[in-house]
Amino acid sequence: MKNKPERRGLIDGSRLIIESLARAGADVYVGYPITPSNWLYAYARQRFPLFLPAPDEITALQWAAGFSATGRFPVTATSFPGFALMLESVNMAYMMELPMVIILAQRMGPSTGSATTGAQGDVLLLRGAISGGYPLPVFCPSNLEDCWKLSAEAMRMALTVRTPVVLLTSKEMVMTHHSFDLSCLPAIRTLPRETFKGNGEYLPYAAAPAEAPPFLPVGNPHHQVRLNASTHDATGLIRKATPEALSNTRRLRDKIDHHIKEFTHLEYDPAPGASVLIVSYGISSEAAREAVQKLRTSGKAISLLIIKTLLPVPTAVFDILQKYPRVVIVEENLTGLLRELFFGQVSRPEIRGVNRIGALITPSEIVQEVESWQQ
Amino acid sequence: MATVESGILLERPMPYCPGCGHTVVNKQLDQVVRELGISPLDVIVVSDIGCCGLVDGVLGCHTVHGLHGRSTALAVGISLGLQNPSKKVIVVLGDGGATIGLQHILEAARQNVDMTVIVQDNMVYGMTGGQVSGLTPESLKQDRLPEEEQVPAFDLVQLAHTAGAVFSARVVVGAGVKEVLREAVETPGFSLVEIVEMCPSYGIRKVKELKEVMPYPEVVLRQTRPIRRVQFQQKASLLESITAIPVQFNHRLEQRLHVLIAGSAGEGIQSAGELLASAAMAAGLYSTKKGEYPITVGTGFSVAEVILSPTPIHYTGIETPDVAIVVSADGWNKIQSRLSASTRLIVDESLAVDKKQPMVRVDFRGAVGGRSAALAAIAFWLQQEEWFPLEALRLVSRNRKYAAALEAAIAKGQQLSPVG
Ligand code: SF4
Ligand SMILES: [Mg+2]
Repeated sequence: MKNKPERRGLIDGSRLIIESLARAGADVYVGYPITPSNWLYAYARQRFPLFLPAPDEITALQWAAGFSATGRFPVTATSFPGFALMLESVNMAYMMELPMVIILAQRMGPSTGSATTGAQGDVLLLRGAISGGYPLPVFCPSNLEDCWKLSAEAMRMALTVRTPVVLLTSKEMVMTHHSFDLSCLPAIRTLPRETFKGNGEYLPYAAAPAEAPPFLPVGNPHHQVRLNASTHDATGLIRKATPEALSNTRRLRDKIDHHIKEFTHLEYDPAPGASVLIVSYGISSEAAREAVQKLRTSGKAISLLIIKTLLPVPTAVFDILQKYPRVVIVEENLTGLLRELFFGQVSRPEIRGVNRIGALITPSEIVQEVESWQQ
Repeated sequence: MATVESGILLERPMPYCPGCGHTVVNKQLDQVVRELGISPLDVIVVSDIGCCGLVDGVLGCHTVHGLHGRSTALAVGISLGLQNPSKKVIVVLGDGGATIGLQHILEAARQNVDMTVIVQDNMVYGMTGGQVSGLTPESLKQDRLPEEEQVPAFDLVQLAHTAGAVFSARVVVGAGVKEVLREAVETPGFSLVEIVEMCPSYGIRKVKELKEVMPYPEVVLRQTRPIRRVQFQQKASLLESITAIPVQFNHRLEQRLHVLIAGSAGEGIQSAGELLASAAMAAGLYSTKKGEYPITVGTGFSVAEVILSPTPIHYTGIETPDVAIVVSADGWNKIQSRLSASTRLIVDESLAVDKKQPMVRVDFRGAVGGRSAALAAIAFWLQQEEWFPLEALRLVSRNRKYAAALEAAIAKGQQLSPVG
């Protein structure tokens, strides 16, 4: 890669996310403007083969699902208020097994909160987004390189397991400019939308165990396609809790759990002899990286884990957590959402959080927390 | 293999109560599709929630069964995604679905998306026990919701027409339905047919009674409008339009420099910050620029946080500013609390600031006006501290909109001297 001549420019995460998705083959953006996702909207308008402004976020997700049903790959971007409106439709697309990427640019809540203030407040919402607790895959870029790589990766996972995938980000990731060498960006290949090639019967939800069923677009002239948001069997027809329908519903979890390993992206930077692990994700990652650098410079052995495949939590994350007697989780929210997801609500002396709302967590706050603990 | 002759209706028992209007209408839709010579696999029925949504199970065409009220919006995505006038996208929903999904119907009509919406209007929510919908007439509310007896039903057909449907009609279940459905399905663009039906379990039982209670008469409304079509077009990469900033100057920065530029929204604070960050790149530095502003774009404060560094930057926030450039009172109020004793302060001389704090005061606003004050102040500061040549700032300003004004602000800033 590095033999390409340097090409430095001042760029932001929104641009890389949209370009990455477009190169990977996403072809329709259905959007409704909401801060802080407006740059994504504006770039998509310039870049996507088709751009449609929807009159609200429920419509946006429904149109997107319709496009996906015809074999197009839709993308949308929003923040919590819009995502809340989309939620039922996200469940619909999940149940119908319609791939799409939803970019969720977090802002401070609750409710409309502060539109121009970043946050990391939505991870538990995403963990519980699908009724029944089924896993909704979530990728979370920690820097510009991740915006590039993970966006295409989110799309690849959406296609592989036929599901909506969330790219979870925040105001500071999509609206901050950085000097950046574009020649470092690896090539992104166009991802094909595989379709059913068999000659015999086609059942829209007949799938191998822990796999997505082969896809055919609605309206194709060869096989009847049925899509269904209600509990259904392999034919795609609504069924109450029949054994076959229940096994189809279970498969929705199994296919994601089965494939998450190939989509696991972590940045694990262990220090020999370290007993403290700093864990972060998304916009707090860079503060965590700087804090670890500082702590190491002052002679402390500290390990770092940046989680990029956030949900479902890859088993590799728990394997790493288990190695450390002390864990500090850094995230821009008041109550420690990822901490709660990993360790529950019972406070444990060996688990600490660095949390705040209203501004980026600073490297010094993290350093202080670790130093106060070590004394 | 499904053929035109086989129609879209499978030979299966209808899933409705005996005497339900849905049974009659589904059979008529099947006849219309056959008569029009449409192959079942050219038909996509998008069904809503409610009894009418049970239609999937008796259809041999493509079927999509979605959420309550959202079927019209889902069908818009399907119709636009297919972009194929020979495919017939047909929505089947009830009066309840039309109520909760009214916005989707109006939007699809406004855009004139090629599709047909069949509203099976039995004037109540059947599946959940006969509650009133937005299409329930006053007379049916007497024993269900008398306190809303004065609230009329929506005239859905008129609404769809006003929103832009090329064909919208109301018809009572019976022999007349076929002809109306046929025209709706045949007409390119958005068509809506409201079929007033009986629901023997919770609504009106007899056709004769339907005609007595239905709040609006049978009607057909037509108009001609362009049909919404979309095109998928390949577009240029977003990376091509980025201005590459090659290194053309030297710098003498040995450690990271954190600069706050504070002023009022709408006065070019963010673009001045961006120019500084770009100029630093032209001098071989790493840089970041983060913006902070209230929700409204044109009033209140605007702060650009710029980091310049000889080494790569991870964290883009500023804990303690090394330099603060403040050109308006909005900006001063916002960043005042963030300053430390070591912050070098350059402020517009108009600001009523605590003069005990060491600072350089310059009449930026007086010299170049509010909109150029931030850039002039940056030029002034660079001239003073000489981290890299001012020429770098000029260079990156050159390809911009309003390049001449930027150039003038830089030139002026360079010449200004502190007051007092
Ligand atoms: S409840 Fe009413 S609408 Fe539903 S199937 Fe029975 S008669 Fe038809
Ligand atoms: Mg009804």
